[in-house]
Amino acid sequence: MTDVQTIDVGHLKAYDISNQDPLWWGQFMFVFIEGAMFAILIAAYFYTRLRMDVWPPPGDQFPHKLLPTLELIPLILSCAGTYWASEAAKKNSRGGMAGGLTLNIALAAVALWMRIVEWHSLNFNWMTDIQGSYVWAFLGLHTFDYIADLAFTAVLLLLVLIGRCGPKQRLGVHVDSIVWYFLVAIWIPIYVVIYWGPIIVETQQ
Amino acid sequence: MRASQDIYPQSVDVERDVEQLRNSWRHPRGVLGWLSFTTHQAIGTRYIVTAFIMLLAGGIEALMIRTQLMRANNGYLGPERYNQIFTTHGTTMMFLFAVPVMEGMAIYLVPLMCGTRNVAFPRLNAFGYWMYLFGVLFLYWGVFTNTAPDVGWFAYPPLSGPQYTPGKSTDFWAQMITFTEVSALCVAAEIIATISKMRAPGMSLNRMPLYIWSILIQSWMIIFAMPAIVLASSYLLSDRTVGTHFVNPAEGGDPLLYQHIFWFFGHPEVYIIFIPALGFVSAIVVAHARREIVGYTAMVLAQIANGFIAFGLWVHHMFATDLPQIGEAYFTASSMMIAVTSGVQIFCWIATLWSGRPRMTTALHFVYGFIAIFVLGGLTGVMLAAVPLDLQAHDTYFVVAHFHYVLIGGALFPLFGAFYHWHPKFTGRLMNETLGRANFWVLFAGFNLTFFPMHILGLKGMPRRIYTYPPGMGWDGLNLLATVGAWIIAAGGILFIVNFLWSRKNGEVAGNNPWDADSLEWAASSPPANYNFEYLPAVTSRYPLWAPREQRGVVTGLATDRREALVTTLMDAEPHHRYILPGSSIWPLISAICVTIGFAGSVFNGWYITWGAIISGLAFIGWFWPKRPLEPAHD
Repeated sequence: MTDVQTIDVGHLKAYDISNQDPLWWGQFMFVFIEGAMFAILIAAYFYTRLRMDVWPPPGDQFPHKLLPTLELIPLILSCAGTYWASEAAKKNSRGGMAGGLTLNIALAAVALWMRIVEWHSLNFNWMTDIQGSYVWAFLGLHTFDYIADLAFTAVLLLLVLIGRCGPKQRLGVHVDSIVWYFLVAIWIPIYVVIYWGPIIVETQQ
Repeated sequence: MRASQDIYPQSVDVERDVEQLRNSWRHPRGVLGWLSFTTHQAIGTRYIVTAFIMLLAGGIEALMIRTQLMRANNGYLGPERYNQIFTTHGTTMMFLFAVPVMEGMAIYLVPLMCGTRNVAFPRLNAFGYWMYLFGVLFLYWGVFTNTAPDVGWFAYPPLSGPQYTPGKSTDFWAQMITFTEVSALCVAAEIIATISKMRAPGMSLNRMPLYIWSILIQSWMIIFAMPAIVLASSYLLSDRTVGTHFVNPAEGGDPLLYQHIFWFFGHPEVYIIFIPALGFVSAIVVAHARREIVGYTAMVLAQIANGFIAFGLWVHHMFATDLPQIGEAYFTASSMMIAVTSGVQIFCWIATLWSGRPRMTTALHFVYGFIAIFVLGGLTGVMLAAVPLDLQAHDTYFVVAHFHYVLIGGALFPLFGAFYHWHPKFTGRLMNETLGRANFWVLFAGFNLTFFPMHILGLKGMPRRIYTYPPGMGWDGLNLLATVGAWIIAAGGILFIVNFLWSRKNGEVAGNNPWDADSLEWAASSPPANYNFEYLPAVTSRYPLWAPREQRGVVTGLATDRREALVTTLMDAEPHHRYILPGSSIWPLISAICVTIGFAGSVFNGWYITWGAIISGLAFIGWFWPKRPLEPAHD
């Protein structure tokens, strides 16, 4: 133990755009919460699946795989835009943030469009049967978060473009990237479950 | 009186800094100002007051239950009303009292004990409170319009499904859960961020007070447990309102899945309530036994282990369902294991008290009461963990006795003790000790009189959740005894309220540290200023206020003309950077109202989810919209 009388912190920075900031931790908690929820939903899907004799229930089409798999390309690439923006936020480069966020939103919008087209092609909805309930729950919950985060990313882009972009907003750009990485990362197991799940754990009809 | 001024360095201009701090932390005036408060003392107090009102409501419901069961064939409450009352009692006590009151205490105490100025996200804190309040109003709106839930506090399908419980009562229940879980998750996130990143310099993890450890563990448990209840209540609600099939057996769903998910939340929930109470006990024991805790490391490890094991024993609530025996054996073992980690803590407290110089204050009375009652509840818990015994006692009053022993003994007694302990910090005045002791003994006697006979009633076969029973079952005398006990508990509650109201005006003036306690909250004035400390404390020991004067220090150099705090590193709490906290804001309330419109409306029409999401999104954008000048204005 050392003798400490006074610690002067006046020379320290008044903000820090990194994982040392409490806001980063707050965002990280949000990711944990969402992640725990999706993990339980996936567990519940397989719990339900393993108690059914026939899966998918008769009449449900097997989901198409081409479009959802292609969707992964813009989705994963969109993380590059996020990364660009968050690094630019650290360096206080307005152009970098604008470019990164624009790339992020554009690619995310393409992926969203592909998802909606595929979603439209399902021949069942949440009321049809238990598989329908699950597929719509996965799609609904994830897409809700997805659109919400896109909306906030658009707000951040707007703030960057009109120049209302101080350290706090740059920190916002940085922590927004955590949510985006999470939404992309969690989509991969969800994609496997809803598009490949019926095949992986298929039973003869 | 100003705290510990003798340790301030010569170089600072205390008068100027205090003047600036007062200005920058001043609460706004007027009704709108009052609705915009974001200081942790204000929000914590609101949580605690609201939760105690809920305790009163839940207590009145308990008295109605006991009055109905006073004698055989009683006609005071009919079966429908009785179902509503016991469901509302359980729901109120678990969701609207126990968890929120622990959160309120944490919101008030954590920044003080960590030696900082506010929680990490003050506006989120306010938002969480408003969500909680609207959840309370939402459920009780249902109760007072005769739409009270009547399917038990866990609402198992198929009983709670659309076929067997039409109407809106279960929807109100399920959506009330959503309100409280949003609130709990907001608090958990901000508390983890506060504890992880805003501790006083030098308060490394191994110097954290045990109460802070307990809240940190509890918050992590909330992060992992609450998402399960999000799913469970959403399953139920969407099965009921939009025709999904998750847990509705009439539609191919699986009601047992609901039980699994509910108890994957529900069992940790008990520890979410009870682990902070263990933290209270540690704080009270150290301060009132006037010595360091015995086995600090063992205590911390035991609490962390408690947190983990709590997630591995939910199935012991489901032994009466048709589960494989191997699974049951596993959950029996894990349920018994929790007795080990709890036992370690009990022995550490006893050793601390034994080797200390205990002052027999009211707070310590409640700790002794806690140990006695909680150990009894723990023992019946070990009994119920055995499947053969559980199958016999399942759904009987034996279980009711067990969980009231662990919840009232394990959470309510420490909470009362904590209230007596920290009341001088909250209000600046000590509570009356004579009334306090009377309060304790009446509660202790009433509690045992109410709940001990229930063990015997359960073993005699009296089932739970029955609104009446015929004479001649051999249950009459014990039921009457329990009812008398319940009214004695009510008398104890009234003594508490009288003591509180009397002490607020007439209690002995406390000063900063009436108990000569060890932790940082006692370095602040009583009640604390909005900014808590003129200069944030620096810490060189596990018991900072017991350290010799030359080892105590403060932080200087934080801006005082705006709300600024210090961010430190996770493990060693070394200063890292300064952090600007937001001021008062009306946006949390506006956002909470928008979210409430979505949640409450969706019970009646699914489109409210969409509209609610849109207006909530707009409110959140308003919340985050940067005000000029952009912060920080200067480095």
